Order: sequence, then C-alpha cells, then structure tokens
Amino acid sequence: MTDRHDELHDDALGALLRASAPDRFDAGFSGRVLTRRRAEEQSWAAGLQRQFFRVVPLAAAAALLLASMNWWSARSSHASVIDAALNLPQVSLATAYASSSYYASPDSATQMP
Amino acid sequence: MTDPRPDDELLALARRGDERAFAALVERYEGVVAATAIGMLGRGDDADDVGQETFIRFHRSLDRFRGEASLKTYLAHIAMNLSLNALRSRRRTLLRFSGGDDAVADALEPGAGPAGETDAAELKRVVQHAVTALSEKHRAVVVLRMFQDFSTRETAQMLGVPEGTVLSRLSRAMQELQTRLAPYVRDGFLPTPMETTR
Repeated sequence: MTDRHDELHDDALGALLRASAPDRFDAGFSGRVLTRRRAEEQSWAAGLQRQFFRVVPLAAAAALLLASMNWWSARSSHASVIDAALNLPQVSLATAYASSSYYASPDSATQMP
Repeated sequence: MTDPRPDDELLALARRGDERAFAALVERYEGVVAATAIGMLGRGDDADDVGQETFIRFHRSLDRFRGEASLKTYLAHIAMNLSLNALRSRRRTLLRFSGGDDAVADALEPGAGPAGETDAAELKRVVQHAVTALSEKHRAVVVLRMFQDFSTRETAQMLGVPEGTVLSRLSRAMQELQTRLAPYVRDGFLPTPMETTR
C-alpha cells in the first residue's frame, strides 16, 4: 500500500516537474541571438582591420628603409634613383647576351654571333 | 508562426548563410535550451546569456555538425556544459555571499501554497526554485531526465557519468523534491498545459 502510494506520488511529482519545465526565455530571444551573432561577426572584421592598420605602417617603414639602403649603396653608380632603390641590376646588350649564354647550352652558345 | 521546413533543410540553408533559416532553428529549439539553462541557473541574465552563447557556438559549428546526435541532444549538451561553467564561475564569485536556499524558502511560504490563490505561473516558479535549490549534480540530472525527458543513457553520456550514477542521483533528487514540494504534489495541484506560461 505504501509502495503504491509512493509510486503515485512519484508519478505526480514527475508530472509536476514536466509541466513546470521552463520552455521560453524572455520575449525576443531569437532577435538577441541574431544581434549578438552579427556583433561578433563585425567585431571579428573590425579586429582584422585593426591588425591590418597596425601592420601597414611597419611594413611601409621597412620598405622605405630597404629602399634607402639600396639607394645609399648604389649612389656611386650611374643607376637611376628607382633602379637604385629597388636594387635592380643594370641591363645592357652585353649583359643580356652574357646572361643568355649563361643559361643556354654549350652548343647553342657557340652559334651566337 | 513556426517554420514548417525540416531541420535538415534549415541547417543546409543556415550553412549557406541564410539568417532566417538560422532564426527558425533558434525559435524551434529555444525551449530545449531554455529548459536546460533556466533549469540549471534559474531565470535571469545568466540563463539568457548561456542560451545566446549556446546558439552562437552552434552557429560556429554548423559546418561540423553532421547529425550524429539529434539537434535537441546536441544543443542540450552545449547548454548543459555552458550552464555548469556558469555555475562554477558564479560559485566562485557570488554564492559565498548569499544564503542559497532563501529564494526557495520564500517561494514556499504558506501564502504561495496551494491553499492560497496560487496560479499556474506561480507554481512553475516554485517548482523551478525547488529544482534550482538542488545540488548541481542532482539538478543536472533532473533537468535532463525530468524537464527534457532524455533517457538515462543520453543523460549519462551528456554528463559523462555511468548510468547507475544517473539513477542514484535522480532517486535522491526526487526524494528531496518530494519533501520540498509535498504540499503541491499531495493536493494534486498540477498546471494544465493551457495554464502554463513559463
């Protein structure tokens, strides 16, 4: 009798618990989720932008420094400022032939004028 | 109005960036996540925050979700883990300053009992407070087994404990709830589905 009584109480308690389960957040929950998701997405993009702007001045400064060093080391030659800054080698007809003979096979090199 | 399209279709659309499909999934599974988060943390900002975070994490893992578990199980699992983390964090900061069972004691005052003019919403609040007053381990089992109707095996998997542990914890939790909610259970004061609000 007691067991049966307890069983009935368990069933009643189970029913009470099931009926009392929370089934909703406060109104507008899905809107809050979407807003938060968008904000997170934007903050990611903004973070990427911040990183970009942090790196750009450093990269520009490094490029300028390298260009200055190149120009300084080539200042005695007759290269233009651009060629010197970019450390471009001077190209003439003679050096062009020389470089093609360097890459060409020994046979083809002998056939050159 | 609820979206009639099946989960698979909504998932495929959400993966392609369809925000309305994702919103439809949020609305469809809000109840599952609410039962877990509010059941574990009580109604309030913490539970709402856990609910939002659950769906944010779900969105991040849309491409990885392959449907091995049902969406309900998957979301309840995330919500349970986040709720347990929130409880640990709350315990570290707030719980040492509060009395713990005061809210339940207040809710179970005679004025709020079945003899008074307690409505269904009030009764739900009382029951939810009684569940919130259980220890963390007992509460987790009640939330998953009784609130959400997960099987013992599913509950054990989600909590990472043996099935026997789930059963023993459930038994102890039910005994404790039986004591706390005796007046409501004895008088057969049950909310009907139409009466229930939250």
